[in-house]
Amino acid sequence: MEIKKTAIAGTLESSDIQLTISKADNGISIDLQSDVKKVFGDQIESVIKDTLAKLDVKDAKVKAVDKGALDCVIKARTIAAIQRAAETTDTPEWEVL
Amino acid sequence: MQLLNLKDREVFREWKEFLESLGISNFQENELAQIDSTLGMYNDAGSLVATGSVAGNVLKYVGVCNKFSVHGSHFNTIISSLMNLLAQNDIFHVFVFTKLKYSQSFQHIGFNELAHTDLGAILETGDTDVKDYVHRIPQQPNQVDLQVASIVMNANPFTLGHRYLVEQAAAANDLVYVFVVSDDVSLFSTTERLALVQAGTADLNNVVVVNGGQYMVSYVTFPAYFLPTPDEAITYQTTLDARIFKNAIAPGLNITQRYLGSEPFSRTTGIYNQVLQKELAPAITVHVVDRKQASGQVITATQVREAIAQNEIATVQDFLPATTYQFIQKHLTTLQARIQKGMTIHGN
Repeated sequence: MEIKKTAIAGTLESSDIQLTISKADNGISIDLQSDVKKVFGDQIESVIKDTLAKLDVKDAKVKAVDKGALDCVIKARTIAAIQRAAETTDTPEWEVL
Repeated sequence: MQLLNLKDREVFREWKEFLESLGISNFQENELAQIDSTLGMYNDAGSLVATGSVAGNVLKYVGVCNKFSVHGSHFNTIISSLMNLLAQNDIFHVFVFTKLKYSQSFQHIGFNELAHTDLGAILETGDTDVKDYVHRIPQQPNQVDLQVASIVMNANPFTLGHRYLVEQAAAANDLVYVFVVSDDVSLFSTTERLALVQAGTADLNNVVVVNGGQYMVSYVTFPAYFLPTPDEAITYQTTLDARIFKNAIAPGLNITQRYLGSEPFSRTTGIYNQVLQKELAPAITVHVVDRKQASGQVITATQVREAIAQNEIATVQDFLPATTYQFIQKHLTTLQARIQKGMTIHGN
């Protein structure tokens, strides 16, 4: 799936994560900010990367501001941001998840 | 969370009293007029506990009462609501100017500080940042070995005075970047000013004209409504401008020289020049070049704008490169219409 424009999903409230996804031309880059980055940083990044891979996003710039989100929340916010950024909110590909 | 209609007198009064209780005291017409939308959060008792506004892509008038909230939660809620509001309008690159003591709070939610002074800080967040901006500016393959100079100008419009400054820099350096301030608050639009600088320097092959983006923010438009006195505001604005240039822009382009025109008339610009010299040294050498004169007069863009208003452009022909003069001749009625509509021709 191709990222066509910048999109944002999520909030900065406790237990949530704010994800901004924008266009890129050389793979996936993730800029993660989290109070629990030392312990869970790799885990958070891998959830974002897996979700991007499942939706076949090859090039994207991701900015993530985590406020202690669980994996299911991270996944949900990533899917929402990708679909907005790829302008596919009307035709979601649920089956790949 | 709801949109506040500040046009409603009762809503405005409560909003203003709330912010005043938090130490924000400037509610001047020209600041308020720039606000696009304002959000507010109320508690169960119906009183305002948090608010924030957006003006273009700048967050303003953010105020949070933490008396009843778990550490910072109202703040995070109001900022993410403002960012989602901006996102609906496809604005993802967001700036905030704030008191120094709140810089940490913004950094905690993904903002990066561009510069700060004792009085305040400027931060940005979103899908692009100052590194991307510097990265997009064209560079020479051997740039690290070159002596690189810079000029920041509004060029409203580009005169022979500007041209003289560029020529001085071009003669003494390998490469010169001319950054054109991109605030659309001038008689000539950003696109027009950029095009006229480009046209007026096209024959100088070591000069690169660049849009100053939002990082060469002219001191004209730095919001400083949270500072009590005009003098503090000027010092704060100019110091921030100098520090962003020195720390975030110049290193990536190997800029070591900056050229300024001497400022005999405007007190504000005079202060600006002094602050720049103090802040940029020693990494960047500042050269102040005396203003060029034509027919015994110092050239200023202000006089050119006045001549346009008075319909006497022939009187300033000697001040202008042919490219600028022809542009004014061709678009005289458009420019005059802008002045009639209330575009100010004074200031910068």
